[in-house]
Amino acid sequence: MTGTFPPPDSPPDVDLGRVWIGVVGEVWRRRPGLLERSAAALLRSPGLARALLTTPSLLVPWLIASVAVLGAGAAATFGTGQPIVALMAPAVAAAGIGYAYGPGIDPAWELAASMAISDRIVLLVRALVVFAVYALLGLAASAASGVAAVLTVGWLIPMTLVSALALAAAMVARSANVGVATGLSGWTIMVLSWRAADGRFTAAVTYTAPRAALYLALAACCGIAAAFAPRVRKGTP
Amino acid sequence: MNIEIADVTRQFGRTRAVAGVSLRTGAGVFGLLGPNGAGKTTLLRMLATVITPTSGSMRLLDRDPGAYAARREIRRRLGYLPQSLGYYPGFTVAEFVEYFALLKDMPPRQVPGAVATAIERVELAGKARAKLRTLSGGMLRRVGIAQAIVNEPELLLLDEPTAGLDPEQRVAFRLLLRELGARATVVVSTHLVEDIGVACGEVALMDAGKLVFHGTPQELTAKGEGHAIGDAPLERGYSAVLAAARS
Repeated sequence: MTGTFPPPDSPPDVDLGRVWIGVVGEVWRRRPGLLERSAAALLRSPGLARALLTTPSLLVPWLIASVAVLGAGAAATFGTGQPIVALMAPAVAAAGIGYAYGPGIDPAWELAASMAISDRIVLLVRALVVFAVYALLGLAASAASGVAAVLTVGWLIPMTLVSALALAAAMVARSANVGVATGLSGWTIMVLSWRAADGRFTAAVTYTAPRAALYLALAACCGIAAAFAPRVRKGTP
Repeated sequence: MNIEIADVTRQFGRTRAVAGVSLRTGAGVFGLLGPNGAGKTTLLRMLATVITPTSGSMRLLDRDPGAYAARREIRRRLGYLPQSLGYYPGFTVAEFVEYFALLKDMPPRQVPGAVATAIERVELAGKARAKLRTLSGGMLRRVGIAQAIVNEPELLLLDEPTAGLDPEQRVAFRLLLRELGARATVVVSTHLVEDIGVACGEVALMDAGKLVFHGTPQELTAKGEGHAIGDAPLERGYSAVLAAARS
């Protein structure tokens, strides 16, 4: 009797296509760094962590948020004693950040808007990062300036904490709207409680006309820098 | 039915981009034809849940996209190639496709294999680790198609997918379309009539925000009998329907 091929006890045919895909998938696979792995564990979403760390550049959103807040601060300085800026600061800054990641600047906005991970939750994460950068820079500046310390402790760090609270609420409720509502409520309660304590809520951004000029000058510098900052090139193949 | 829309309109200020479109379609390749400004892209953006209709009802993959949880489920099963694909030039092809696979909430363990499969299907394996800024327009279009199909979508929306592709790539793309249309609803918006004739089982023609024809490519061709404008039979059908709609 002649031998058969393949022998009866040989393994089934190997699907070379599947093997190839497995191999190239491993070769092309990106190895997330420690920061991304930690963020993925914290946020319980590798997609969200990737979106956070893929943020093309924090510089432009940061500058635009600065322009928005400082410009509003200068405008409010001409009114007296009203907590407009302190109350509105996170919302104004967040609107600036939202604009920075909106259809005008983020090249992949259209695609991101059709994704399962809500673009609004991604925006909350990015806002947290922008505020955190603000707070870190404020802390660094606090070593050199008492005014910076007041700003940082009284304004930047609370804003970061409130945005972290907003994000946490959004993740638990699986709704960006719940997160935004929580953040705004938290900030309002905080500002009003400061006012009840000692009325210093507007000290950072509303006081005198010379300060308004300073805010306007800073806002103008930020605006110019944002306009000339290297932006992500838009692709339209 | 994967797409069920009834009397959908979309208004931008005073401009009505889509004016009362109704459509029902299941698995297969569906061609959406029309001149520039007909409302094809706006309709596709509504189907992609990027924008909401001003009025009318819409069900996608048997779900209501107006509800958050349902919209999220739809988006997990959706592939979308916008007309103007924005990209991050510092990303490699594999990184770009992986990024959107993760944003589509794919299980992380499935992502490497799915990314490799999608890149292979658009024949960009040799460029998987190339930065996007180094690619030609046609290659970038194929990257866009790869991110759209990476999650094996049940509803695939492609806006001008063959723009920038050379003739050989267009032939390969039509084959891919037919393969994808065997199990998913693939909506292809284009003004290149020849793409529709070869790849689509159903075709609709839009003009001034309205659906002026819905049928098979053969039926559209038949509309062109005796009509003079157009080089190919399907083009004559397209021109005849448009002329009738505008008269």
